Amino acid sequence: MIKSVEDYLDVLKTELNGSDAATIQDALADAEEHLRAALASLREKQPEMSEEEALNQVIEQYGSPDETASAYKEVERRTLPSLAREISNQQDSAFKRFLSVYEDPKAWGALLYMLISLVTGIVYFTWVVTGLSLSLSLAIFIFGLLFAVFFIVSLRGLALLEGRIVEGLLGVRMPRRSLFFQNGTTWFDRLKTNLTDKRVWLTLVYFFLQMPLGVIYFTLIVTLFSLSIALMAAPLVQSITDFPIISIGIMRYYLPSWATPLFLLVGFLIWTLTLHLGRLIGQLHGKYAKMFLVTD
Amino acid sequence: MVDSSILTRKFQKEMNAGIASLVLLSVLHKSTEPMYGYQIAKLLEEYSGDTSFMKQGALYPVLHSLQNSGLLESKVEPSVSGPPRRYYEITSEGRETLITWQGVWKQMKSFVDRAIKGG
Repeated sequence: MIKSVEDYLDVLKTELNGSDAATIQDALADAEEHLRAALASLREKQPEMSEEEALNQVIEQYGSPDETASAYKEVERRTLPSLAREISNQQDSAFKRFLSVYEDPKAWGALLYMLISLVTGIVYFTWVVTGLSLSLSLAIFIFGLLFAVFFIVSLRGLALLEGRIVEGLLGVRMPRRSLFFQNGTTWFDRLKTNLTDKRVWLTLVYFFLQMPLGVIYFTLIVTLFSLSIALMAAPLVQSITDFPIISIGIMRYYLPSWATPLFLLVGFLIWTLTLHLGRLIGQLHGKYAKMFLVTD
Repeated sequence: MVDSSILTRKFQKEMNAGIASLVLLSVLHKSTEPMYGYQIAKLLEEYSGDTSFMKQGALYPVLHSLQNSGLLESKVEPSVSGPPRRYYEITSEGRETLITWQGVWKQMKSFVDRAIKGG
């Protein structure tokens, strides 16, 4: 029997078991927003109604947890993240599959993500380090608590943003709305509930690690990209400028003309492998982001 | 023999799948300011009178999917009481789509009416 909004959310969570974690988070947030608003307005109109009666009436209109859960599952089934399309290339040859990475938006998205992650990583890192150290050092003042709450709220916003970037570029379903602030009464209560919240700490760790990861991703992509472009362009540059392209020690050598196709091929291979590598890292990073930024 | 009320509910649910999107877009198109879920549900309750066509909870996943297709935009704002609210607003793409959908609906309606009446 459902006696409170929390009960409803618990049952709804159980009903949605097995669905995508991000869907569950959205569904719980929607239900909480609606039920609390509906309850408040009903009790204002009919103050004599008992809490339980009011809740039952509200749930009757909103739908039982299993009805609500099935509505989300139904819509979720029809709307996949924008890049999550099924490519059936089981029968294709290994060569074709190797090249098909060029038409896979996930591979390009992952490369773009790896480039951007240097910038976002630095921003997250700076924000987290500044916020944490200010929260700690201001904690001796009353307004230090206010600042800490403000910092935690900002983390939620940033986490949602990172989630949107991850979904957009890596094609992994992430939450479409931010988590609720726990409904503490005072600022101090809010701070307490948030400090004991596992997700806040996981988000912090994620943002902290995002800078080293961003640096690694960026360096990796830029290095591999330059290497493949340099290999492909070397024979061309030599034929135009007539300048010996290989230098070992102080000696410079001309690239023999038979090596031109070889250089082109190796450069192309490295670039194709980079795309494959990007796609793989994108998948792994998507899973990792989900583990740290989505409630389970 | 399958319980006819179950069949009716299944029929209703299948029909609602597409209509809900049309109804939500229309409501947000008419509205002069962004609306949040509960507000929309209340308004639809007024329109539907005593009969309830769909559970209010089923509106939210449709809102998410419309937003995902770029037909709606949303923003979260804190509320005086309770958790923050997500306000939805129709995009210009949404308005264009709505015009097409209204056309589809009109054709569909006259087609179904004629099929039921039989010519």
